Amino acid sequence: MSQHAVSFAGVEKTYRRPRLLGASYHTAIKDLSFEIPAGEVTGLLGLNGAGKTTIMKLICGLLFPDAGRVKVFGHSPSGSEAKSKVGFLPELPYFPPQVRPSQALEYYGRLSGLSGAGLGAAVEAAMRKTGLEPHAGKRVSEFSKGMLQRLGLAQALLHSPDLLILDEPVSGLDPLAIHDIRQLLAAISAEGRTIFLSSHSISEVEKLAGRVLIMVRGRLERTVRRAEWEAAPGGLEAIFVEAVR
Amino acid sequence: MRKTLPVVWAVAANSFMENVRNRFFTLFAVFAFAAIYASVLAGVMAVDQEARVLSDFGLALMELTALAYALFNASSVLLREAETKTIYLVFSRPVPRWAYLAGKLAGSLLTSALMLAVMGLMHLLLLKLRGFGVPPAYAWALVGSLLKLGVITSFAYFVSLFSTSAVSTLVISGIFWTAGHFAAETRFLAEQSAGAKSLALKAAIWLIPNLQLFNARDAAGAAAALAPAAFLSAAAWTAGSYLGALWLISRKEF
Amino acid sequence: MRRLALPAAALLAWAAGSALSAAAYRSPFPPPSEIRTPAAGAAADMFALALGARRLFADVWFIRLMQYYGSPEFHDEDDAEGGLDWLKPKAPGEHRHHDHRGLNGEGRYPEFLTRARHVLEIDPNFTVAALYGAGSLAFNMGRTEEAQDLLRYALEYSPREWKYLNVLAAIGYSKANDPAAVAAAIAPMLKDPDCPVMLKQQAAFLNKKIGSYAAAAAIYADIAATSRDMAYVRNAERELQKLAAALSAGAPGPRKTK
Repeated sequence: MSQHAVSFAGVEKTYRRPRLLGASYHTAIKDLSFEIPAGEVTGLLGLNGAGKTTIMKLICGLLFPDAGRVKVFGHSPSGSEAKSKVGFLPELPYFPPQVRPSQALEYYGRLSGLSGAGLGAAVEAAMRKTGLEPHAGKRVSEFSKGMLQRLGLAQALLHSPDLLILDEPVSGLDPLAIHDIRQLLAAISAEGRTIFLSSHSISEVEKLAGRVLIMVRGRLERTVRRAEWEAAPGGLEAIFVEAVR
Repeated sequence: MRKTLPVVWAVAANSFMENVRNRFFTLFAVFAFAAIYASVLAGVMAVDQEARVLSDFGLALMELTALAYALFNASSVLLREAETKTIYLVFSRPVPRWAYLAGKLAGSLLTSALMLAVMGLMHLLLLKLRGFGVPPAYAWALVGSLLKLGVITSFAYFVSLFSTSAVSTLVISGIFWTAGHFAAETRFLAEQSAGAKSLALKAAIWLIPNLQLFNARDAAGAAAALAPAAFLSAAAWTAGSYLGALWLISRKEF
Repeated sequence: MRRLALPAAALLAWAAGSALSAAAYRSPFPPPSEIRTPAAGAAADMFALALGARRLFADVWFIRLMQYYGSPEFHDEDDAEGGLDWLKPKAPGEHRHHDHRGLNGEGRYPEFLTRARHVLEIDPNFTVAALYGAGSLAFNMGRTEEAQDLLRYALEYSPREWKYLNVLAAIGYSKANDPAAVAAAIAPMLKDPDCPVMLKQQAAFLNKKIGSYAAAAAIYADIAATSRDMAYVRNAERELQKLAAALSAGAPGPRKTK
């Protein structure tokens, strides 16, 4: 396995928005280089429009870089070698309201190449890990936001990925749900998996991550290690505020 | 390839089940109501031609009902999956885009086939209740409708990948459907005209699929049997739209 | 170059479909220049073509033709109806074919040929419409030339349709005042599902006229058993009763025709 779960080298991404005449362009990230070490929890902080979601989509192969190079475990993110090792939880994932959680998970399990008894076991394990087992009989339409987020996490965990990409995993959740998800992510991290999560909640990132990337207007402003923010007066929040101002 | 085929099937089955959950079968009730209403009218107005009128009305209505759902579904499904971010959960997995597109198309065609089969049974039952047998070349008429739906659904998928909204896809595909039935007239006009007009009409003949080729329900007797060329043309046009759509989706970012 | 592979393959596949279709498809329908749409019918014709539903819209035109023919039309009694009066029952009160459609389905009906032909312009395989139109024109309205025109048009698109040839022959015999030959020309069509009940009625009437009561009774019985047009069915039942009475009283010889 590559020492780095993810590596960005001089990556640039510009969005093109078609207009009536011509198009407008917006550069989301520019000359971005960083690595995410395997087996660690790395946080991604930044204001709105800083390029957090763009980075996550580039890692998942949903966007293609205009310049530079992105590698996931040494492979191109568009290829199946990389994708089979990645689990992605987008912000506010959607599931058809009429399905039961196991049905949704079976579908995504099949897309991850699982089948037969292996699929059944993976679905069961993902539901157990995310605490969805007691709600197995319910339909998604009956789910609270917290339960939907658990289901989102469950689909990301199904195929036991080496790298978990989580976009705002605790956004809009109540304190108890946040606590549960934090516990779950800590347990996943303890299994040696790499977690890369973005959040607006500095305190959440502070609690989970060992390293934090701070993005400002599409550029990597700072990389901060846990030891640094633990030693700094005001902690990670003070470092973040100073970086983005 | 062997690993990917189950993925195609998973997408197709999921797409089909999504349609079931969307309650497309409520359209069956609309069809049944319209067919019964038509039978009452035909009994009064068409007298000895009731069987023919009922058969023609039923076959046309079946095709239009299935077309309406197929176009609505094909024009909105990719857009909806992108908007709800469902597509993120798919394409962040080792799912090749060709397999996803093939699965979606197969799911749509499966839905169309089921719709035609169920409405066909309802129609035959109504005919039987009115004392009529199975109209001649009935199965060919349904197969022809399915081939047409295959061509137009794949085209709608292609259009949906570059059009700005589901409505514009629906309109473009609807116009395409209409133009496809004028192929013979277009050819006639091309032969009758000259210069730029003739060139434009000849280009249209190549660009617009001749849907009359599949219109077994408008043909008579032995002519109703679809020729192998009809199946091959349908396959080629569907493949053309599919490859065009694949070209667009393989470059598309989400 | 690889980036162009997919669009090139798409275009090739599409062109293959168009080439196959062009090689295989010959339109069985009249060209657009032949479609002479009656007033206020253009929209229906556009739908017929655009939706690929020629048969359905031909059905609609046929129903409109029957409704048009069934509309009462008042005209001078002196108006010439053509020279085929011998084809129509003469006795007062005696039922005539089409008497449930206004004025016995006779009258001028100036648009009849145009309307009947239009049904065939939309669906040239609509045999019943052609037979009904030609039969009505020739035997009810005495417009044999128009009936022949209609059948000739129908034959252009269905040259193997023997029933058209039989009706053409029947029209020829009717001009020669030979009711027996007219009945004989129509006879082979009577069991055909495409034979309009109006022609059956005509055949029954002619058989009765020439004294072939058993043949007439068989045709009336067939009408009573198979037709969904209650006017024809009631008339056939009445005629069957009359024929039964006539047969039990001893069959008379053939009646002379005009």
